[in-house]
Amino acid sequence: MKPTIAKREPVVDDAMDQTEAKLRPEQIQKVINEVIDKETGGRLWTYVNTCIHCGLCAEACQWYLSNDRDVSYAPVTKIKDTIWVMLKNKGAVDAAFIKRCAEIAYTECNLCRRCGMYCPFGIDIAYMLLVVRRICAKLDMVPLYLQDTVHSHAATMNQMWVKPDEWIDTLQWQEEEGQGYVPSARLPLEKEGAEIMYSVIGPEPKFLAQLLGNITAIMKVAGLDWTMPATAGWDNSNMAMYSGDFEVMARVERLHHETAQRLKVKKIVMGECGHAFRGAEYDGPTWMGWMKPPIPIVHAISFYYDLIKSGRIKIAKKAEGPITVQDPCNVIRNGGLGDKLRYIMNAVCAEFVDVTPNKRHNYCCNEGGGVINC
Amino acid sequence: MPDLGNWDWKSKEKMIADTAEWKARFEDVWEPYVSPDGEKIASIVKIGEGEFNVCVNGETWEEPYEKLWYSRFSPDGRLTVLASKDMEWTMAVDGKAWENSYEYIWDTKFSADGKVIAATVKQDDVYGIAVDEKTWECSKELQSIASYVISPDGKTVAAIAQTVPLGQADLEGFLKGTWSVVVNGKPWQNNFVDLYGLTISNDGKKIAAEYRAAICDYGIVVNGAPWETTAGCTWEPVFHPNNNDVVTAPVRQGGRWFLATNGTFVWDKGFTNILYQTYSPDGERIAATVATSFAKWTVAVDGQPWRTKFGECVLQPYFNPDGTKVAAIAKDRGFWFLVVDGTVLGDGAYYDNIWPPVFSPDGDKVICKVEKHGKYAIAVNGKIWGSKYEALWDPVISPDGTKVLIRGIEDKKYYRRIVPLASM
Repeated sequence: MKPTIAKREPVVDDAMDQTEAKLRPEQIQKVINEVIDKETGGRLWTYVNTCIHCGLCAEACQWYLSNDRDVSYAPVTKIKDTIWVMLKNKGAVDAAFIKRCAEIAYTECNLCRRCGMYCPFGIDIAYMLLVVRRICAKLDMVPLYLQDTVHSHAATMNQMWVKPDEWIDTLQWQEEEGQGYVPSARLPLEKEGAEIMYSVIGPEPKFLAQLLGNITAIMKVAGLDWTMPATAGWDNSNMAMYSGDFEVMARVERLHHETAQRLKVKKIVMGECGHAFRGAEYDGPTWMGWMKPPIPIVHAISFYYDLIKSGRIKIAKKAEGPITVQDPCNVIRNGGLGDKLRYIMNAVCAEFVDVTPNKRHNYCCNEGGGVINC
Repeated sequence: MPDLGNWDWKSKEKMIADTAEWKARFEDVWEPYVSPDGEKIASIVKIGEGEFNVCVNGETWEEPYEKLWYSRFSPDGRLTVLASKDMEWTMAVDGKAWENSYEYIWDTKFSADGKVIAATVKQDDVYGIAVDEKTWECSKELQSIASYVISPDGKTVAAIAQTVPLGQADLEGFLKGTWSVVVNGKPWQNNFVDLYGLTISNDGKKIAAEYRAAICDYGIVVNGAPWETTAGCTWEPVFHPNNNDVVTAPVRQGGRWFLATNGTFVWDKGFTNILYQTYSPDGERIAATVATSFAKWTVAVDGQPWRTKFGECVLQPYFNPDGTKVAAIAKDRGFWFLVVDGTVLGDGAYYDNIWPPVFSPDGDKVICKVEKHGKYAIAVNGKIWGSKYEALWDPVISPDGTKVLIRGIEDKKYYRRIVPLASM
């Protein structure tokens, strides 16, 4: 196979440059073969051997389309330039190759899984790029911005280096803000036996704290029995899933679910984050050996759909003007919540204008998959 | 443990408080907590705009606060609440605030007898542990405290703490190790990338934890000394109940989980996952929650899994006093079951929730709190026994093993009841 000619602006990433200088060929080969032999199986080989190199996946990819149909961005090319080479060479590749694999897998693919829908055989190309990420993660060849976030998950069990007291203090502050909307509102901390544990992503206490005040008011108006943990385990996001550091991913997900078990809630309601839904609903439980989350998870779209449809909350005033929506891949294409999202949009917007293509055929926003850290 | 023998095991029934009356008296009444002996019930109550108090058996504390949260009874029956006034936080115990106040205080813990009260505190951006009002004196300015443990006698408190400042996005600094274990204010000499699963021996002399040496490289460390080998992943270690030289933890090798003691595999059969390993009271046996394959969860005792498997999850196993039986709470098809030695109790009875079970001294009966259709009850050997409650707390068996303390709310009235075990 000839390497693909890929015209790219040079990317400086201190972390990846330092790793490239340190990696030894035998170390690379060992890790690649360990991952291939012990962490993959029939799925990978079926995908690799089934692909007929037709290139139909290209038209699915927003990277390919938005770069003037540059073939180097086509999903099949990304596979050809990464995992195929690793398999063909039985792991005998150099550090520069691993660095290029990391650039492709982490920054030129969002793992949105649109290409898999356009493949005539349904090959999950994103899975293969996640295998590439796994290899890169074990070699510490991860972009700096992403690895720092994974370290935050590992050290604090949340995405944004939020310390335990900062978390609780923020909730207590936002309880007061929520009372600004609904004076009798309360944000119940550590209430064992509540119906719902509400969990959020790290950026909420860090940058978007008002969302916690908002949910405090909404829960009160809807008359729901809910709680939030005052311990680690409150964050449902998981960038380790996207870096390929599955051990950190599993630890974060385990704590999230065990926190719900400890609080004896019936379900976890989570905020809007799509990747967090994927991690908490699928990838985390799968690694743990759980068929599904041991405490059921309800995504915000389903939650608000139920609240509005049942009349538990009423929309006092619709947002004016034409408003559209971007279908998040992990909850729409991969989670099937497209119709519920539109019900909500029509309920809260005076003039909802849909996108084309939409629902499961949506284009990725290009932020997901850990390409941009939210 | 507190001296349960001093509790009132004779009064058949006491109506301690009518909580309906509280709702009429206060603007808001938070969820109640009851003392271990069942003699007290308490709620945080709102008495005005930005003004909160604690109501215990109908009586409020003398002094109100601007904020209150985390009301918890100590094992010896004292009520602790985290309290704020004038932008400072402190611990209030039975209505009396600690003399010291803090920028923040959280995570109250107790010694087994309840005599020692500890909490994590922050003052001037430095973190520490306050034990009975006295904050650690530590040679290093702790940047954060992730978690801590307290020995049963309360003499040793150990925390996972960040001992080294870390700049933003300093990957190299992070991998050099910024976390350590601090024991009674004294940090271990070595730092680690990450630390998890802190645990302390029953005599308080040894501390163990999981540590992360590098990306995807984990191990177990005891009093600062790592096991000789590392693994792809680990879960939290536990000490042998009577021998602090023995530490057991699940470790992952080649995609399978094994149970290891002091670094050596003691269960040679690998599982898809191993969680919550638990020693029998005499330390002779080990039970753990295991997945024998994907979505097939059960309990393994000394490495041998039960035949019965559950599709969703199994929680921590519990031994009976002589270590011959093991109980666990399991979930399948959306419902919770109580299981002993692989058999679902109560003719397959299922519940919306089950709380940790307790065995009778002879091991014949397993008693626990259960929830079904929004009501709570005591279940004996898996079957509901007696009244249904609006709120209920875990049952307690008397020291002589003949009676059971039941604490519950019926018709908004809180009752403390003593029931002969033989009648259940």
